[in-house]
Amino acid sequence: MRGTRVVQMDVEQLEQEARSALEQAKSLEQLEELRVRYLGRSSELKLALREVRDRETGMRLNALRQSLEVALGEKRSALEHGELQRKLLTENVDVTLPGEHFVEGHLHLITQIRREVEDIFLGLGYMIVDGREVETTHYNFDGLNMPLWHPTRLPSHSLFLNDDVLLRTETSPSQIRVMEAQAPPVYMISPGRVYRRDTTDATHSPVFHQVEGLAVDRGISLADLKGTLLHLMRALFGEKRELRFRTHFFPFTEPSIEPDVSCHMCDGAGCPVCKQSGWIEMGGAGIVDPNVLEFVGYDPEEVSGFAFGLGLERIALLRHRVPDIRLLWENDLRFSRQF
Amino acid sequence: MKVPYTWLREYVPIEASAEEVAARLAVTTAEVERVSWRGVSDSNGNFGNFRVGRVLEAGKHPNADRLQLCQVDVGDPEPRQIICGAWNFGVGATVAVGLPGAVVPGGMTLERVKLRGSASEGMIMSERELELSQDHSGIMLLPDDWTPGALLADYFALGEPILELEVTGNRPDLLAVYGLAREIAALYRLELAPPPGTDPELVGDEPVQISVDDTGGCPRYVGRLFREVKISHSPPWLKARLTGAGMRPISNVVDITNYVMLALGNPLHAFDLERLAEGKIVVRRARPGEEMRTLDGVDRSLDPRDLVIADANKPVAIAGIMGGEESEVGDDTGSILLESANFEPVGILESSERLKLRTEGSNRWEKGVDPHLAEQAAKLATELMVKLSGARWVGHADIQGDLPERPVIRFRPERADELNGISIPPEEQRGLLERFGFGVAKDWTVTVPTFRARDITREVDLVEEIARVHLDQIPFTLPARRAMWGRLTREQRLRRRIEDTLSGIGYVEACTYSLVDSDPDPRAIRLPDPLSAEHVLLRTTLVGGLIRSLRRNLDAGNEEIALFEIAHVYLPGDGDLPDEPVRIAGLTEGGFARAKGAVEALHRALAAPEPSFEPAGELPFLHPRKAARAGAVGWVGELNPELAPGEWGVFELDLDALAEVVRDVVVYEDVISYPIVKQDLSFVVADEVAAGSMIEAAREAAGAEMRRMDASDVYRGPQVGAGKKSITFAVAFQSSEQTLSDEDAAALREKIVGALGDRFGATLRT
Ligand SMILES: [Zn+2]
Repeated sequence: MRGTRVVQMDVEQLEQEARSALEQAKSLEQLEELRVRYLGRSSELKLALREVRDRETGMRLNALRQSLEVALGEKRSALEHGELQRKLLTENVDVTLPGEHFVEGHLHLITQIRREVEDIFLGLGYMIVDGREVETTHYNFDGLNMPLWHPTRLPSHSLFLNDDVLLRTETSPSQIRVMEAQAPPVYMISPGRVYRRDTTDATHSPVFHQVEGLAVDRGISLADLKGTLLHLMRALFGEKRELRFRTHFFPFTEPSIEPDVSCHMCDGAGCPVCKQSGWIEMGGAGIVDPNVLEFVGYDPEEVSGFAFGLGLERIALLRHRVPDIRLLWENDLRFSRQF
Repeated sequence: MKVPYTWLREYVPIEASAEEVAARLAVTTAEVERVSWRGVSDSNGNFGNFRVGRVLEAGKHPNADRLQLCQVDVGDPEPRQIICGAWNFGVGATVAVGLPGAVVPGGMTLERVKLRGSASEGMIMSERELELSQDHSGIMLLPDDWTPGALLADYFALGEPILELEVTGNRPDLLAVYGLAREIAALYRLELAPPPGTDPELVGDEPVQISVDDTGGCPRYVGRLFREVKISHSPPWLKARLTGAGMRPISNVVDITNYVMLALGNPLHAFDLERLAEGKIVVRRARPGEEMRTLDGVDRSLDPRDLVIADANKPVAIAGIMGGEESEVGDDTGSILLESANFEPVGILESSERLKLRTEGSNRWEKGVDPHLAEQAAKLATELMVKLSGARWVGHADIQGDLPERPVIRFRPERADELNGISIPPEEQRGLLERFGFGVAKDWTVTVPTFRARDITREVDLVEEIARVHLDQIPFTLPARRAMWGRLTREQRLRRRIEDTLSGIGYVEACTYSLVDSDPDPRAIRLPDPLSAEHVLLRTTLVGGLIRSLRRNLDAGNEEIALFEIAHVYLPGDGDLPDEPVRIAGLTEGGFARAKGAVEALHRALAAPEPSFEPAGELPFLHPRKAARAGAVGWVGELNPELAPGEWGVFELDLDALAEVVRDVVVYEDVISYPIVKQDLSFVVADEVAAGSMIEAAREAAGAEMRRMDASDVYRGPQVGAGKKSITFAVAFQSSEQTLSDEDAAALREKIVGALGDRFGATLRT
């Protein structure tokens, strides 16, 4: 037990002294010293509070402690605020220095375009079918109404595994498989790899990506094909694009057409990209041949359809001005990181 | 197909310019590659500068041994002095003269010049200089009945536009000038001239010995015999047309066969009758082992499927494809057997593929030539033979098999409107079909002309005839869409999330060939007839392609390399077709842990439970001691350093297997309400014990309230003793139902310590 010591202090003087010291504090460090001196464990006030016995003195001392704590808190906020203001005025950064480094990834340009096309057709209510790449001649030729004499059936044009099996020459075989499996209506696109016996050069590759579309329903017409392809071309090449049809011949379709889009480089005035014609060839299309519909058990008198096909690499080359298709297969990061 | 424009105008009176016609044809009929020009330009009256001249005087230039000094009558009051370097003519010769100011093909303008002191007022032209042929051996000699001073352009097409068409396989009728004229006449509502060719008088009655053993392959054979043929050069008009059409003039007889083919679309062949054994023609399949040397000087072995034209003994031509050298018409040929036949297309196509021999003739036959054309072609050829070679036509034979019927089709104009999406009045449709040569009865029964019979057999083919001339009027609409739904499948959404996650953590997507030169799986499917040595096998893994891309990037000095690819691989299966699972492969700098980190991050991003990684032993491409199976999803490892310098992490996952472990719907679990208790636990354990096994054992022991346990530090050294390691785990406990007390946490910890002690002899370090 400690001996009793009567509190012998002038409360008013202590308050005055403490308040004026707090008033004059210039820094948080100083303030901390003052806190220790006036409110710390062994400060006069704390000692007195510990030893006080009469109620009235106790209340006075407690009131003093509280008011000093409030004053200290206010002073601390004032000093902290001042400190922050000073920092904001003096701190600096060289904004031209590089940021902290993150390695960013990139989707392949073909993937970006594939997704764009997919999204356009998802928006139109189409489904997307990723079919198989090794196909039978049954689906790759017979189902597509490819006549027996058609050159694509020859080993000089296509890559065969045996007489009946080959690497698909277009993604349309998957359309036949889908139609066989479900009743109309069918609205689908099939993006994917296709194979031709082409020697590699700036615009040809034995493997490339194609997207083929098919809509079979009651009352589908060439006008529907025209509207759909115009929408696609504007989405890919800009709202100012126009579309025209030229007659053509494909076994899969009758009537067959080739769609041209007005040149996005010259707006149709003529330039090297469009070979001065103002138009750029975009692929093949037409009204699905009734033989194809009959092949899958649809009634050509009940439903009709349109089909189209275009090359994703071709879109990449045209729209992004990639000069050589091989760049898309080399995966040089200097190229990939541009897109 | 190159079509000289004045030739076209002989059959149809088209006034529009070649460019206008080309633009129209491009939309309705056939692709037009370009409109080019053959011969002399006609702008600014240039044709007036090219005249017929007659040489009045000719002699050696006084100051130059190799030049001739000529006085030439070009219709002016006075002859012109012209200096010429050629010597194949003399006084009296009729020649082609370009006057000063004339622009010659190639763009050069002729001027008055002085050569060795003498003036030359013009130029005597060679055939090559006029783009009539390639002949530049001397100047061009004209027939003597041409009038000096007359314009050359009055005698032949001095210069003209050439339509260069790309005709599709269904329109062989357009591989003929007359066929194109017919199309243009229909499009422009013009009158078409009757087909060219009128038989002259037959002036003999010699038998033509032809037998057709295979009327399937040769449904028609018209053979005509000519005597007293004089082989010489063709006249300028014929040379101009052939050259314009892209063929080389050779001699009158050969040129006539080519001319008729170009005019009507029916290829012909002329045999030297004297060189046919017994003067006979037999159309048959080749016999086993038969050989012949074709006109191009190549010895060819024939296949019993090849249709040949033979004489009494041996093949003298491969039917429809190329003639033989032995029976070729030469300068001394006097008697000719002219063949105007019809051959079945598929056989010609197959033979031509087999022999790797394509000719102007085979190109037409393989698309199907109107069998009724043979007779008209024979007429035109006969007319020209008599006219241009002085021959006498002395014999005729016409062997016919079954010629096809003209298809008859029921047509509904309203059906055309439905499919085309545009309303064309029925009578307009009728008129159009009739102009294209179809017979349209009152009840809309349509009879197809023979020259379209192969292409048009059904109503929808007629619908196309209506469509193709209205393509620019068809409106833009969208399908009515009474029932459609568009959405990605679960696999497609997953694939996109994987693409986004990997590119999000710094991987660049690659795209590599599915055909490769080598593959680790010996069963990989091999192409029997590959395109090149680099594209022989169908890959069973994507990693090979990524390694090739890695090397390319290393060679290029690129940094921070991380690549991924998502694509099919091809695994030989039990059926006829291989399995084609989709794989996700990655290749990154930084070794095993880097690749494993990507696989872990991918699982977290897909909210899939992390797979258990187990040592995999030897795997293709991988460092044998740094390879792991990632559950059933795939594998991860470090690239065998033999394959690329440095440390490279690799993984390959299967999309379907990943789809198996990804939940359709993630259900909420309370990870918010109650605090996490974190503890570090260090164990000393035998070195070979895998951290993953310890975590698995701990999870079994502690249950779901052990939220995480990650190995954070491994220490080997004297403090733990030989053959041992100290491994520290950061462990997090959390309950979804209550705040865990110290006692709860201690109990969980004891379970873990107990389990690891029992299973692995691990002791807790304190
Ligand atoms: Zn352009």
